[in-house]
Amino acid sequence: MLPCRFSYFGRMVTILAVVVCVLAGLFLSSPARAAGFPQKGKAVQMLVGFAAGGSTDVGARILASGLEKELGTAVVVVNKPGASSQIAYTALTQARPDGYTIGNTNFPSAVVSYLDPVRKATYTRKNFEPLALHVVDPGLFAVKTGSPFKTLREVVDAAKANPKKVTISTTGIQSDEHFAILQLQKMTGAQFAMVHFSQGSAPALTAILGGKIDVFCGNVGDLLAQFKSGEVRILGIMDNEETPFYPSVKTFEAQGYRLYGSSSRGFSAPAGTPKEIVNILSGAIKKAVATDEHKKRMKEMGLTLRYLDPTQYTKYWDEYEATLKELLPLTKE
Amino acid sequence: MDAIQNLFMGFTVALTPQNLLFAFLGSVLGTLIGVLPGIGPVAGVAMLIPLTFQMTPTGAIIMLTALFYGTQYGGTITSVLLNVPGEAASAITCIEGYEMAKQGRGGAALAIAAIGSFIGGTIATIALVLAAGPLTRWALEFGPVEFFALIMLGLSLLMGLAGKSMIKALMMGILGMLLAMVGMDPVRGLPRFTFGRMELMDGIGFVPVIMGLFGLAEVLENAEKQFAQVFAAKMSSIIPSRKEIRDSVGPILRGTVIGTLLGLVPGMTGSASSFLSYIAERKVSKYPERFGTGVIEGVAGPETANNAHANGALIPLFTLGIPASPTVAVIMGAFMMHGLIPGPFLFKEHPDVAWGVIASFYVGNVILLILNLPLVGIWVKILKIPYGLLFGVILAFMVVGAYSVSNSAFDVLVMTLFGLIGYLLRKLDFPLAPIVLTLILGPMMERSLRQSLDMSQGSLGIFLQSPIALVLLALAALILIAPAFKLFRRGKGILN
Repeated sequence: MLPCRFSYFGRMVTILAVVVCVLAGLFLSSPARAAGFPQKGKAVQMLVGFAAGGSTDVGARILASGLEKELGTAVVVVNKPGASSQIAYTALTQARPDGYTIGNTNFPSAVVSYLDPVRKATYTRKNFEPLALHVVDPGLFAVKTGSPFKTLREVVDAAKANPKKVTISTTGIQSDEHFAILQLQKMTGAQFAMVHFSQGSAPALTAILGGKIDVFCGNVGDLLAQFKSGEVRILGIMDNEETPFYPSVKTFEAQGYRLYGSSSRGFSAPAGTPKEIVNILSGAIKKAVATDEHKKRMKEMGLTLRYLDPTQYTKYWDEYEATLKELLPLTKE
Repeated sequence: MDAIQNLFMGFTVALTPQNLLFAFLGSVLGTLIGVLPGIGPVAGVAMLIPLTFQMTPTGAIIMLTALFYGTQYGGTITSVLLNVPGEAASAITCIEGYEMAKQGRGGAALAIAAIGSFIGGTIATIALVLAAGPLTRWALEFGPVEFFALIMLGLSLLMGLAGKSMIKALMMGILGMLLAMVGMDPVRGLPRFTFGRMELMDGIGFVPVIMGLFGLAEVLENAEKQFAQVFAAKMSSIIPSRKEIRDSVGPILRGTVIGTLLGLVPGMTGSASSFLSYIAERKVSKYPERFGTGVIEGVAGPETANNAHANGALIPLFTLGIPASPTVAVIMGAFMMHGLIPGPFLFKEHPDVAWGVIASFYVGNVILLILNLPLVGIWVKILKIPYGLLFGVILAFMVVGAYSVSNSAFDVLVMTLFGLIGYLLRKLDFPLAPIVLTLILGPMMERSLRQSLDMSQGSLGIFLQSPIALVLLALAALILIAPAFKLFRRGKGILN
């Protein structure tokens, strides 16, 4: 209790202050209300699981500035890098589901983090409320210009004829390239010697241009500079349509391999976020990505815009998870 | 020569009042970010990118690149004066620079560091202008196999860090290696030594560790003494003595070569370059036992190397469109967001931007030299602040800095833990440099070894097939065996 030397007046003021605080706490911590979301002056936090400056971060920041205009309130990007975004996903799934915290959910990192038991994730698929898919970066195969491999078929045939002799790069274990190559191997019986460059595509690019590895497996956004200067020959795109960034490059599908791989970036809220708020957020994202300014910036980054609303994104997520579930044990070999 | 003509054209672009202002802004911000512990060039450049949307592409890139190499200048300041590494590449400067500061020669150390940084950065830029093609072709020769051999050479030089006790140096080297093993292993993706904590899946953060080992441990040690005694030595002139200048020439030249060449190789970090420069200086010095007591060579070499590295890392960006380091990757993003794709054709399509930016590298280095030299006098006045007041501020900066690396309180815990460890190690007279060396090189070695063996599907023969790797490995073997020969000869002499 209060010490005796406090004056009567002092005690009254203190008790009054405590009461005011308790009342304020009760009123201000009311459950999420859709009416009035978002409140002006209250910022929406966007959690990004990669370091500032990386491709995911830059894409998120560009969207955040567009979202600010649509929502009418500040959207602040908070980087929580580490453990391939697991730290950010943990923070996202534990945040209050009131719409003021959303986060980047990338495939495959998001799905792998809860499917792989060694990751000991504190969340599962159920803890996410998908908001929207933002961009996809389709996968591709490429070789150095001047390589003996002129077509995709030659690469696959070589890998079939000489198991584990054709070297191919990925950006890490359980990366989207790793899954794509595993799928291709399952499909064709080819066996590649995968070399994992977990520091990103730059060392892999150096290795391919230096003639150290045979095939570069990466994403559309990786080769803009090298394609332009003619240093690489892109053999195929793992998508159901050709990409405007590399006209004249056929899809894998068109060359006889029904392989669809990509790394994609979307946004989610914590599960339990009210439906109305989810729709407000998703609608705002939809409007933000439709502006000319946004389209221009994504194009300059080499990213392919592909908006999906919550229902479509959920379906995409489920399909993607099913594919990965099958392939995950193979990544451990 | 064509290049010189284009360079002059570039200067007309770089020296417009607007672009000069951007270069100046970038330099100032870069220096400040370098001074602040924790936040490094990557975060700094990334945070400024949205602000540059309103600027012209040339102006934006001039500012961001000035920020980048500016951080290498600023990082030295706290390393020398307070033993707190301003950012990763300045860690090794703590060892000699801080000793010099305690002896009252901190001003000279900072001055030499600024001059060396200028020379390193400028020569790396000259290399870009004159020899970009051949240098890039050289860099492309470094695949995982050659990279591994290079790292092994670096690790073999660990012997050179031994100082008084070889055993203690080796123990610290192994400790650093063990620490480097924490995280997801590159073979199966299984967590090692993470104790279930996802924050450790990428390994123990390097920046919090060095902030703890050097900065916090120093504060803890100083807390034992009377505060008045911490910087008791009278601050002598901030102008380096003639002898110091003479002794710095060799290290600066060697540091330039090391930094520029290693900066070209993607995967090599600025801290690795500066560290290898330190070891090289120790190896070629006539008085290796003086290292650790505050020798100017241990400041001149590494500081030159990290600046040469920063400017050298920009070369592959212009010649191949490949970013050789994480910060350059962010700068590449900046290019792209202004609608420019960096690469050789940038010179054909936008020669004013390409040459303007290159010319601004010279301008930026000059600005930084002018900024930093006179400021040395002001910075050293920090040491006049009563330590009783200063150490609280240092601690606050370190906590904020450690947190800011990844917005993670866990990193603050790491820094605290390593502060305690560093304090204990100092008390027991263990050298800290070997830990830093293996902590930097260990993960690189494991990754490149794994990648090499993936390429050869397990056959070690792949190392024998590369001439570069063979040479580097042979050098490493020689360095390791050499002391045994000396012993052998001495033994023979005794028998006679």
